Amino acid sequence: MMDAQLLISGVIFGLSIGAIFFLMAIGLSLCFGLMRIISLDQLLYYSIGAYITYSLSLASGSVWLGVLGGMAVAGITAFAVERFVFLRIYERELTFSMITSFGILIGGIGVIKFFWGVVPRPVPVPTLAQIDIFGTDVPVYRLIVVAIAFLVYGGIWLFLNRTITGKAIRAGIENVEHVEGLGINVSRLFTITFVIAGTLSGLAGGLHAPLIMVDPQMGLEVLAFVFMVVIIGGLGSIKGTLVSAFIVGQVVSLGSLVYAPLAQMAPFAVMMLILLVKPTGLYGSTLVKK
Amino acid sequence: MAESGHSLVVRGLNVSYGESKVLFDVDFTVAPNQVVACVGRNGAGKSTLLRSIAGFLKPLSGTISSDGVDLVGRRSYDIARLGIKYVPQDKKVFSDLTVRENLELGSYATKDYNWDRVHDFFPKLKELMDRKAGFLSGGERQMLMIGRALLGSPKVLLIDEPTEGLAPSIVAQLKEVFGALSRNTALVIVEQNLPLVCAIANKVYALKEGRIVAELAGESIRPAACEPYL
Amino acid sequence: MLNALRWWSGILLAFSLLALSRVFLPLPFVIEVVIFSIYTMGCSFLLGRVGFISFGQPAYLAAGAYGTAFYLFYFGANPYVGILLGVLSGLVVSLIVGPLFVRLRSDYFALVNLALAVIVYYLMQKVLADITKGDNGLWFLTNIASTPVLDLTRPNQFFVFALLVAFAVWAFYKYLDDSVFGACCLATKINEDKLEFIGYSNYRVRLLAFVIANTTTALAGALYAIYLGFVSPEITSPSRAADPVVVTILGGVGTLYGPIVGAFAYTGMKDVISKLIGNWELFIGFLLVFIMLAGEKGIWGTLQPRLEKLFLRGKAATTPADDGETRR
Repeated sequence: MMDAQLLISGVIFGLSIGAIFFLMAIGLSLCFGLMRIISLDQLLYYSIGAYITYSLSLASGSVWLGVLGGMAVAGITAFAVERFVFLRIYERELTFSMITSFGILIGGIGVIKFFWGVVPRPVPVPTLAQIDIFGTDVPVYRLIVVAIAFLVYGGIWLFLNRTITGKAIRAGIENVEHVEGLGINVSRLFTITFVIAGTLSGLAGGLHAPLIMVDPQMGLEVLAFVFMVVIIGGLGSIKGTLVSAFIVGQVVSLGSLVYAPLAQMAPFAVMMLILLVKPTGLYGSTLVKK
Repeated sequence: MAESGHSLVVRGLNVSYGESKVLFDVDFTVAPNQVVACVGRNGAGKSTLLRSIAGFLKPLSGTISSDGVDLVGRRSYDIARLGIKYVPQDKKVFSDLTVRENLELGSYATKDYNWDRVHDFFPKLKELMDRKAGFLSGGERQMLMIGRALLGSPKVLLIDEPTEGLAPSIVAQLKEVFGALSRNTALVIVEQNLPLVCAIANKVYALKEGRIVAELAGESIRPAACEPYL
Repeated sequence: MLNALRWWSGILLAFSLLALSRVFLPLPFVIEVVIFSIYTMGCSFLLGRVGFISFGQPAYLAAGAYGTAFYLFYFGANPYVGILLGVLSGLVVSLIVGPLFVRLRSDYFALVNLALAVIVYYLMQKVLADITKGDNGLWFLTNIASTPVLDLTRPNQFFVFALLVAFAVWAFYKYLDDSVFGACCLATKINEDKLEFIGYSNYRVRLLAFVIANTTTALAGALYAIYLGFVSPEITSPSRAADPVVVTILGGVGTLYGPIVGAFAYTGMKDVISKLIGNWELFIGFLLVFIMLAGEKGIWGTLQPRLEKLFLRGKAATTPADDGETRR
């Protein structure tokens, strides 16, 4: 029914999609774990990353330069939003941050429309090279995306486990008050975490741009999938995010080989099944109160 | 009434949690290297008092100062850096981090990497340095919490129910530790264990339904003297 | 007797004003406001009383709309039956997903509802395209039969009908507010432990509230279907998920008349702003952030306490205090 070539392409496709989801989900997961906020505006930084990549690659001829630029602008925007908006709402309940960040996302889409208009734009793939894997031609670019995701995972792991700031963040995920009681400036920790999340989302957008058309609504289209990953993996768990990004990526990809329309819906079904059994996701904690 | 020269001065403190008021006009002073105990029933407001001093709660009114420096309105990490450290009641350490890493975090803000002092007070911790803190026993966790807070040589330690749920042998150890600590640090200890506090305290405040109802000092500190106020 | 009159006075006043506005404003606008208010009411109730925000209200709107649409396209012509079936569809969907959704923490709840909206969207657009005609939508305007008393095929009379339905909905929600159930809903938001202690089940309270709110949303969907004579997957597109949330906040969360005020303001602003700026998202996004930072009370939420003090001195406040503080 499904020949080997299709299968291999499907797996690689799924891995690259999973990589994109992972890059975004990490930020969301960390922001929730440490600051107890739902940061829907990460989808905006994703879009910003994609659009800046588009413009910069058009201007300079180099897509990679565009991606770097996208990351930078996304990170700066995230910094500004954190300082002006989130600073005021850390003490409020979860729904508050959800609604506010959603407003930022929608408003940001408006800003994008203002500068770039509504017409979808194409971004060239940095390399059209293909490599032969088990008899199938696989786009090298997709493999690069996957490799970058693994590098980022390694980098985040090193950051969280080998640097003092990272350890402070891990400690803060367990109990922010105790960290603050030791004299550590948690306000700065929050900002650092938020900017990391925004930059990673920008990277995700920049990397994804050549694979799809950039349009103002792109953040909303991916929103559901990214949250699927976060929920399945459990908010606050990095390992869980990696695993569930992998799962969702494969389900979307291989599922579409089996029956296309169903594949879009399959992750949601998987998510509902998981939540049925474990209402906090695969690796999520039951912590609710701040 | 000299405000400076006192490690901690609280005047007319009123605190509420949301709609309900918990502390009413509390006056409280701590001299340098003094051991002050705070006793009272559950819900009397003892933890609230410590948390307000440590900056985790914003008071409705009143002043809190240390050596003339005003504390109200400051972030708790700021207050910790001023030398007033809070050891919470929940006996939670950072369980995913090792003992060493827990101490690292304590050292980070205070820039005090001299762990010998901590090891002197708590020799057991020396053996446990590379163990994940989540695997420590209750008593060991309490030691780690206090040890962590000692870094930076704070002038005041606010300790919330340290002996709760601990074995008598550990309690005895802690009693000695508190005695040794008080040579260089003022201690404010919230406790239910009356014999313990009466043995080591220079001053005892009794808190009932959010108000200070008694202040005992010197000779008059005996468990029997505290009981009427509970 | 006087008490009963007092009880009805608020709703009578509100709906008289609404009916009166028909004199000054175009018919499509007021009909949109009425139906949108009903749509928002479910969302507002869930958020304000139970403390759950749902980003997936379009799913239940679609349940109602398509329920009505299927009947009128394939089976019959009576619009009343159509509406009834639409409402029933919404009821059934809520009863199926409710038991799972309502157990979740508030953030998972919001996103799971969004997921449902996406699933319904794809279902209607692609998977069931044979019966839903996919993006082309179902057209059944000509199928609707004329009905005695109020001919729903005539916009003027449809407006009267919609107004009456909305009136009934508001009377129902006001009744809920004043009832023990209403108090339970608030309690489940503010202090779930206490509610369990006095013998109520948080789960059951939430489930009932969930079903009521989403059936109301389905009712709005059914009304849209009759009014437009046409249903397409667009009404459940995820990008429309923001609408009820924004209107809820704009009007004032959890207040009885918030949805009406919010729907009025939102629809009005949309018309005006679209002509001026053209960039609707920019405006609505920042408006939402502004409202949240300014105290999240919304238009009616801010006006209501002041009006109450002004006009109803001596009357004990009947609206439960909503200080927006939960422990979720």
